[in-house]
Amino acid sequence: MQLKEFTIERVIAGYRKQEFSPSELATSYLDAIEEQNGRLGAFLQVDRDLVLAQAAALDSRRQEVNKLPLFGVPIAIKDNFLVKNWQATAGSKILKGYVSPYTATCVEKLESAGAIIIGKTNLDEFAMGSSTENSAYFPAKNPWDTSRVTGGSSGGSASAVAAALAVGSLGSDTGGSIRQPARLCGIVGLKPTYGRVSRYGIIAFASSLDQVGPFGRTVQDVASLLEVISGYDRNDATSSRAIVPHYSDHLKGATLKNVRVGIARDWLEGVDGEVRKSFDEAVKLMIKDGAKIVDISLPHSRYALSTYYIIAPCEASSNLARYDGIHSGFRAEGVTDLDSVYFKSRGQGFGAEVKLRIMLGTYALSAGYYDAFYGKANEVRKLIQQDFLTAYEDCDCIVMPTSPSTAFKFGEKAADPIKMYTSDICTLPVSLAGLPALSVPCGLDSQGLPIGLQFIGKHFEESHLLKVAHKYELERGEFPLPAGVDY
Amino acid sequence: MSGSSNLDREDVLKIARLARLELDEAEVALYQDRLGRVLEYVRELNQVKTEKAATVKHVPRDAVSIREDRAIEFTDREALLRNAPAQIEEHFLVPTVIEQN
Amino acid sequence: MSLSEKYEAVIGLEVHAQLLTESKMFCGCRNAYGAPPNTQMCPVCTGQPGTLPVINQFAVELGVRAALAIKAEIHHESVFSRKNYFYPDLPKGYQISQYERPFCTRGKILISLGDGSEKEIGITRIHFEEDAGKNLHKGDHTQVDLNRAGVPLIEIVSEPDMRTAEEAGQYLRTLRTLLRYANVTDGDMEKGNFRCDANISVRPRGQKEFGTKVELKNINSFRFVEKAVEYEIDRQIRAIEGGETIVQQTRGWNSAKNVSEVMREKEDAHDYRYFPEPDLAPLQISDKWIGEIKNELPELPDQKKSRFESSYGLSGYDAGVLTASRDLANYFEGVVDVCKDAKTSANWVMNELLGRLNAVGKDIVETPVSAMELANLISKVQSGAISGKIGKTVFEEMFETGKTAESIIEAQGLKQISDPSALEPVVRKVMEANPGQVAGYKAGKVKLLGFFVGQVMKETKGQANPGLVNDIVKKLLDS
Repeated sequence: MQLKEFTIERVIAGYRKQEFSPSELATSYLDAIEEQNGRLGAFLQVDRDLVLAQAAALDSRRQEVNKLPLFGVPIAIKDNFLVKNWQATAGSKILKGYVSPYTATCVEKLESAGAIIIGKTNLDEFAMGSSTENSAYFPAKNPWDTSRVTGGSSGGSASAVAAALAVGSLGSDTGGSIRQPARLCGIVGLKPTYGRVSRYGIIAFASSLDQVGPFGRTVQDVASLLEVISGYDRNDATSSRAIVPHYSDHLKGATLKNVRVGIARDWLEGVDGEVRKSFDEAVKLMIKDGAKIVDISLPHSRYALSTYYIIAPCEASSNLARYDGIHSGFRAEGVTDLDSVYFKSRGQGFGAEVKLRIMLGTYALSAGYYDAFYGKANEVRKLIQQDFLTAYEDCDCIVMPTSPSTAFKFGEKAADPIKMYTSDICTLPVSLAGLPALSVPCGLDSQGLPIGLQFIGKHFEESHLLKVAHKYELERGEFPLPAGVDY
Repeated sequence: MSGSSNLDREDVLKIARLARLELDEAEVALYQDRLGRVLEYVRELNQVKTEKAATVKHVPRDAVSIREDRAIEFTDREALLRNAPAQIEEHFLVPTVIEQN
Repeated sequence: MSLSEKYEAVIGLEVHAQLLTESKMFCGCRNAYGAPPNTQMCPVCTGQPGTLPVINQFAVELGVRAALAIKAEIHHESVFSRKNYFYPDLPKGYQISQYERPFCTRGKILISLGDGSEKEIGITRIHFEEDAGKNLHKGDHTQVDLNRAGVPLIEIVSEPDMRTAEEAGQYLRTLRTLLRYANVTDGDMEKGNFRCDANISVRPRGQKEFGTKVELKNINSFRFVEKAVEYEIDRQIRAIEGGETIVQQTRGWNSAKNVSEVMREKEDAHDYRYFPEPDLAPLQISDKWIGEIKNELPELPDQKKSRFESSYGLSGYDAGVLTASRDLANYFEGVVDVCKDAKTSANWVMNELLGRLNAVGKDIVETPVSAMELANLISKVQSGAISGKIGKTVFEEMFETGKTAESIIEAQGLKQISDPSALEPVVRKVMEANPGQVAGYKAGKVKLLGFFVGQVMKETKGQANPGLVNDIVKKLLDS
């Protein structure tokens, strides 16, 4: 059995042909993870017993392979998701040893569809970061070049799929945390429309921006995962009641003919030469297939970084107040009064980037500053969103690079927060507008590192977005695996 | 932004106190620098004319989802207590609190 | 000039009322008082990572009822906000409340005062919020019970319209009555489901500006609302007279010592960093929904009072007394239902029952005489089975022992004698014993008739039917 060949379709076909049982497949994945995780740091927790128990239960339900869309498919879950009986650390010391008392809605949906939860993946602490260097445990490494970052914050989930240690995975995207690591690791990653997937059971970073989404090797796999995890959840008042289409079925017969593809030219100015070249080639391919290119303008998106770095820290400063050394998780040792429970537990429990963002948000919400920061940023956010809605009067989807440069080396951007934050410059506006977007690999640079193309759709029109991306993917042809993945 | 981008030490300590974060001296210096940089950067929003924002509708959303008033028992309360760092007699335990309310 | 003539107090009240829902504000845990510690909790109300709030529909409806009861404006769109602060009884590190855009503003209630006057008190706003848990202090440590965390509350903020402790007390009682009528809250201060903080300042009479206000907390019983407010007003006046400056602070009422004590100074004032709760879209309350809630709104005190006047023919005063609480009004209607005589029922309830309850300091819900039993007693008097006077004795006995009228009358042989053949011998006996009076009557002193009736009643220990005795006496004397 060759793990590197597995897509969801291929796994299901294997079960139908009785090539392997769920337990056999799960064991192969567990063995591969055990062998590779030291090199890649993709997983924070892999519990053999919990995995094999799920697989064994499926062994006795083999006939259900025709009913359950993800029967026996090993899926990795970012460690800021709660899965009952698994730890959920969010990559933070402050939640070390925290055992989930319940399961996130989207993971419940995966389980009901027959998926095997294979492990919990590494991330930047509380999903705050663009490199997975901020994990309190160890950094995740890029399977294409382990001296480079995976991107973040869902670096572990991206690395796991790129290295064939899971067929698919889930991540969360607040400002680019799915798309950017998908791009750096050479796989497909989708951030759905805000409200498409329930956030219940996802450890909150910035509530008005957080969204769950899938990683896969192909657009087809991402579509299959999306249709399982999407839908209204009575436990999430911000989840949408919009009908969930059969995204994967809709891909059949996709065409780019007469699809109006929007490009914001001024956005391409700061982009690396190689990234730009790869982007232009991808656009040519789409034109060849019948797409019509439309010039669009997103004038307020240049303020996305500032807007995001006010809104997200404000919400985070409040969301992370619950880690107080009293109700759950870590309490500093030797604390004998209430103030030291708070100050020491939080001071020692949170890492540097998390503390920076908590303080940013605390400052921006404090008396006298609210209107100038949070109030102003929310106004700009509306304008950013309005630009997109205006652009969509003339086009059906928008393409732009997923990030301006390829995977950087460890520590390269760690010193200057703004420099690190600019790696998300192309994904932030989309998050602020609540739009769906996915990153599809579109080439390799001269160092053999993946480059990604970001497709952005209209609210709740993932179906159309996936069709366009799927068709592009077909035109592009097979995308290679990282060199070391040969198992 | 009305706040100066150059935060002084006292500003950093005040924010850390509000956020209940103990910082050592090196951290105070680090955050004074980093917070200062980010706040300096985000000042650019001052230039943005946002009068039109009031007329922009929010992301199309369903009406707020409301829950029927029905009691549902959560059966695994031990799991909740177990995750607390300290418990006593089925309670969450903290050092003595000087009552404020 | 006395100090109270020289100064005027300005009082505003903030009332927190727990709502009578089955479940909590944002999760499915049961909202009930008195369960064993930490048994009514779930991932949501303990603030587990990843959990989200979902608004309880009925809590909103109860809030709207409260708004209707105080004739306030209800906003079609309101916004939940987070109030951020750290405290062990607050597991999320923030309380979900409403801040800039509450669901209800500009209400008012009318209060009655001891001198017979009435006064309108403005209500600034009502907003929704969730309750915190409880910190239990155990000497060397504090332990936290989260059963109460997330229980739905409304906070009702009055205008600074009150000027005396009496007004504050009456406002609080009237508000409670209204909310209890509307089935919004239990309104039990002792159980903590109805809580009151008072903002109190004093200023020289005639001055327009308010003085520096002090927030007074821990007023947790109706028994000492006036006393606490009075004390604080007095304390401030004395302080000013003594040359002190009042500082803005929070004080707590110490009901054991009957004094207010400093809890915190203004410098400790929190910076709550309010911002709109991103996990909840703005709350929409449509006119249609308000209409439905209005249709199901229980009858409110003033509606009930006018109905009592018009359909029972009661005086304004009687109707007012009988509608002072919904329980009392229900009791009264229970009596009328059975005995069908509203005026008589009103007299019995007001004079006998309330008189006795007040004497022993009990509330109508604690009455040992049920409405049905009181109605039975009244019916016996009306049918002549017992006399009115004996009726009152029987009532005393019922109140003391909780026995039924029937059994008391039976056991003590109090049944009225209405059999002429039983009464005639008694009348004859009285006539024989008083020949002089008989002669006098026959000589034309007809007023002596009353004397004979009285003697017969005395002879029968009041059990004789007085009308019948009258007839028999007349018949035998005239024969």
